[in-house]
Amino acid sequence: MSSSADEKLKDILAKVLLLDESKISDGMSRKGVKEWDSMAHLMLVSEIESAFEVTMDDDDIMEIQTVGDIKKTLKKLGITI
Amino acid sequence: MDSKEASQKQRELISSQLEQLLDQVRKEPTHLNYWNVHKRIQKLDLDALKVQDEKRIRVALLSSFTIDPLSIYIDIKSRLAQLHPEIYVASFNQYQQEILDENSRLYAFKPDVIILAVQADVLLNENVYSEFVKLSDVGQYQTEIINRFQALLSTLTARTNALVLVNNFMVPSFTPFGILDNKADSGFRSFFYGLNERLADVYKKSRQVYVVDLEAAASKHGKSRCLDPKLYYRGSFVFSESFLPVIADEYMGYIKALKNLTRKCIVLDLDNVMWGGIIGEEGIEGIQLGNDSPGNAYKDFQRVLLSYYNRGVLLVINSKNNPEDALKAIREHPHMLLREKHFAAIRINWQNKVQNMIELAKQINIGLDSIVFVDDNPREREQMKQSLPQVLVVDMPSSPFLYRQTLENLNDFNVLSLTEEDKKRGEMYHARKKREELRESISSLEDFLKSLEIKAVIKKADEFSLPRIVRMVNKTNQFNLTTRRYTDAEIRKMKEAKNEFEIYGLQVSDKFGDEGIVGVAIIRKEPKMWTLDSFLLSCRVIGRKVETAFLAKITADAKEQGVSRLVGEYIPTPKNAPVKNFYSSHDFKELAQEGNLYRWKLDLIKFTVEMPEWMEVKNE
Repeated sequence: MSSSADEKLKDILAKVLLLDESKISDGMSRKGVKEWDSMAHLMLVSEIESAFEVTMDDDDIMEIQTVGDIKKTLKKLGITI
Repeated sequence: MDSKEASQKQRELISSQLEQLLDQVRKEPTHLNYWNVHKRIQKLDLDALKVQDEKRIRVALLSSFTIDPLSIYIDIKSRLAQLHPEIYVASFNQYQQEILDENSRLYAFKPDVIILAVQADVLLNENVYSEFVKLSDVGQYQTEIINRFQALLSTLTARTNALVLVNNFMVPSFTPFGILDNKADSGFRSFFYGLNERLADVYKKSRQVYVVDLEAAASKHGKSRCLDPKLYYRGSFVFSESFLPVIADEYMGYIKALKNLTRKCIVLDLDNVMWGGIIGEEGIEGIQLGNDSPGNAYKDFQRVLLSYYNRGVLLVINSKNNPEDALKAIREHPHMLLREKHFAAIRINWQNKVQNMIELAKQINIGLDSIVFVDDNPREREQMKQSLPQVLVVDMPSSPFLYRQTLENLNDFNVLSLTEEDKKRGEMYHARKKREELRESISSLEDFLKSLEIKAVIKKADEFSLPRIVRMVNKTNQFNLTTRRYTDAEIRKMKEAKNEFEIYGLQVSDKFGDEGIVGVAIIRKEPKMWTLDSFLLSCRVIGRKVETAFLAKITADAKEQGVSRLVGEYIPTPKNAPVKNFYSSHDFKELAQEGNLYRWKLDLIKFTVEMPEWMEVKNE
């Protein structure tokens, strides 16, 4: 279960941020990824929300700095990842 | 030498990378893929590609909301239409500043197309929405919005020749009046309907400003799906992911029309397209076509085809069948809406459809890139796509119930102005078929021409003929002496400058029908000398010597005004070989060549151009 959720997230991250799926790690951060600007951040959130059928809290969205943060937010919303 | 080869290799590599990326959205047109492909295309070294000017398009997006995502769709959809777009997105809600400041980046960008997308909300005082029920004179708010638009757009159109696409307003689903909206003196929805009507009226005659029907596009898509509240409140995105491709297609209709990517002809299969079943097996009584399901779906499909025909799209048949069986159905079936006279050409045989297609294009003299192919058989479609990629092959759904909708959704037949010639085009092609039959029955060309009873009307350009003249100047390739292209605005200026220019239109008819305006000449005038700046003829009338009549009339007019010399200009292109000997065959003498420009002169004191005797020429 959790691995398929992980793959779903990786697919979105890879496509939105132009990353190689195999290189995506929890530590990847907004500062370290050139494509991760504010427009891409909104896109990322929107795609994740519709893929996982959740709505993130605006404060949480602002605080997301890394891939790990995204997972943390998803866990908070009851997603096993 | 090596570096030349290397750069050629480099270009091929970039082109193939671009195609691969576009394939990703062709196969799976999701929002995520559009985003991804768009980003990756931006990283390619596109400047290294050699692109013809006519394939380039510069689009500026101005908006009261976040419009960046629309630029992704316009960019990729333009590329899918073989264009090379350059897109400028103005900063968020800076549309007024960009228009008003003549040094803005908008004008520096030199756009060909400007998309202006503004919501009604931002044009009205915030309280208008909440206080609407209490307002007494809502008409004044309509006037206020229209006036603001007009002021902005008149500034914009004064500073640029770009095509301006301004959307109308989405009529809200909600109304505070509830079920009484259209009983109220000024209902909330009625307010927007009225506003849209007034906006359309203001620009009805404009050749530069087009009002894009956002309201209709939104209704088609479903208004509740047009806006994603999360994206709207968080980022001021007004168009949802699912609506973006729909509205982008709406804009692409205009862009394709501007770039002459208009399709002109629908080539149709018969069995399971025009009717259900196989005529060769089931016979005229057995095929499905009529007022009951599924025959009514086929009949309805023919109705759309007929509506396209009536506005100038040519219909052609390309079918594997016994011609007698199929023609019998077309002529005699009581529910056929399309009869022989509606088809510009018919190929019913057992030949390969690709071969038929090539011959058909030649016969009616249009490019493969003007053709749409409709066939229920996926194998035929695939073969057509592979062999003739210029042809637009429609992915027909398997159910005939969806045929009509599929055809209605094509946005490839658009033109920026509909001329009288467009509406009559189908009839003209039918007349042409008849004319060719006559030609085959008469052996001498002269006798044939006489028997046609050709009438030519040669007139100076006026408001009625101008749209057609502009179109011809920009589209004619073969019988075109100089292939100079002029915009609508440029030609209008010439028309006004009566002492410097003369613009003629040639209209031709014969006993089979009226061809409409088929020739254009633009003259540059000096006191003693007239120069043929442009002289062109539609390929429809080549071979009937109407060009001689046209030239004879111009010569006569020149003499009448005391001109002693007529100079003809000629610029060779890969396509205009048919006119190579035009001047020499009319007694012109060659002058010195200037680069690519050849000049010929006719001494009007000694020579003249005789009017062909079998032709009746009317002056008006």
